[in-house]
Amino acid sequence: MNEMEIKLMDYIRKECLPDNSSYPLRADENLFDSGIVDSAGLISFIAFIESEYNIVIPDEDLLPENFISVRVIACYLASRLVKEECGVENETAH
Amino acid sequence: MKRLIKCLVWDLYNTIWEGVILEEEVTIREGLPEVITELDRRGIIQSVASRGDEAVASANLSRHGLAEYFIAPQINWLPKFRSIRSICSELNFSPDATAFIDDDPFEREQIRFTIPDVRVYDAADALSLPDLPEFTPETITRESSMRRQLYAAELQRHKAESEYGSRLEFLTSCGMKLSVRPAVHADLPRVAELMSRTHQLNTTGLMIDREKLEEYLTEPGRCVMVAELNDRFGEYGIMAAAISETSGDTWKLGYLAVSCRVMGRGIEKAVLAKLLNNAVRSGYRAIQADLKETGQNRMMKALYQMTGFRNTGRKDEEGRLLYQFYGSHPVTMPEWVEVL
Repeated sequence: MNEMEIKLMDYIRKECLPDNSSYPLRADENLFDSGIVDSAGLISFIAFIESEYNIVIPDEDLLPENFISVRVIACYLASRLVKEECGVENETAH
Repeated sequence: MKRLIKCLVWDLYNTIWEGVILEEEVTIREGLPEVITELDRRGIIQSVASRGDEAVASANLSRHGLAEYFIAPQINWLPKFRSIRSICSELNFSPDATAFIDDDPFEREQIRFTIPDVRVYDAADALSLPDLPEFTPETITRESSMRRQLYAAELQRHKAESEYGSRLEFLTSCGMKLSVRPAVHADLPRVAELMSRTHQLNTTGLMIDREKLEEYLTEPGRCVMVAELNDRFGEYGIMAAAISETSGDTWKLGYLAVSCRVMGRGIEKAVLAKLLNNAVRSGYRAIQADLKETGQNRMMKALYQMTGFRNTGRKDEEGRLLYQFYGSHPVTMPEWVEVL
C-alpha cells in the first residue's frame, strides 16, 4: 500500500467507521456496496481530499471509475497530481 | 423568507426554569411547557445546552414531565458553542437551521460570534416563539409530530452501530424495508414539506406548490411518487418524494428529494435504483433526469453520476441540466435494503 492509500484509509477509519472498529478495511474494497460511504459520505471525503492535496475535484470527475475504492481514488489522485505538476490542465469535458 | 428553524436549543437556568445552578428545586417559567409542546407538535426538534450538573438538571426535567421533549441534551461545564456544535453534528442539523435561546446576553453574544449562522433569541421572548414565522412551518404533517421520536430512534441506531464488526453487518441488522408507491392526495402535504425542508438531497431545489402537485396527480405522463422506510428501530414515514414525466419511450426523473434524516445509509441510492429499475421494466428505453445546481446539492450530482448518469450539458430555461442514463441495469440495490 502506498502512502496516499494509507492516508485515505486513515480518513475512512476515522470518519466512516465506529470508534475503535477492528474492521479489516481493504484498499480495493467497494466503498459503496459495503455501506461505508454513501452520497453524503462521498462529498465529505472529497472535501477532505481537496484540502489535503490542495486540488479541486471537478463535478465531472465524480464517477465510479474514480471513486469506487481507496485504490481507485489513489490512482485518480496520483494522475491528477502529476498533471498539476506538469502544468497540464485537468480535462473538464462537457 | 427566513429559513425555517428545525432545531431549537434551550438554556435551562432562568430560561426554562427559575433557580440557581445545582439547586435541587426549580420552578418552571409560566407558559413555557405550552411553548415546548407546541413547537414539538410542529416538528421542531428541541435540545438543551446548559451549564450545570447533568444528573440534577435531568432529574428536574423529568420531575416536570419535560425530559422526553429534549433530544441529545448537553448539560455540562463546557462553553455552549461546543455543546451546540455537538448537537448539530449528532442530529445532523446545519447551523442555519438551528436556534439558541438563553437569558444571558454574554452567552447569546458568544454564540453569535462563534457560530454566526445560529439564530439567537432572548429568553424574555420565549413565550412568543410560536408566533414567529421561522418557527411556523407551512404544513404540519403526521411526520412533523413524529419527528422527535424519529430522532430518538436515530440516536439508538448510532449506539447500536458500534456493536457490530462491519458497517455492512450493522446496516443488515437494521432490517431496512423500503417501499415506493405512487402518491395519493393525502400524501401531498408531506411531499410539499419534503421539498421545502430538504436542501442537500434535493435534485432541483425548486418549490412546487400544492395546486401544481394536485394537477400532477392526474396529469397523463406525470407521476408523483413517495417512498417510505422502516427498520427495527422504528418507522420513518414518507422520507422521499419523486416526480417523473414520460413522453414516448423516454422516462425522466424531474425531481427527487430525500430527507436528510436517512443520510448515511445509502437510502437515496436505493430509492433511485428502485425508480430506475421500475422505469426500465415498464419498457422505457431512454432514462433521463433533471438536476439544478443549488450550491447545496452536490450530493445529488454525485449520486446521479455514481449511479450511471452523465451530464449532457443541455440546460433548460429554469437552469436544469439534463442527465442521461448510460449505466447498466438493473441498477444494483444496496444489499441491506429490502424492497417491499
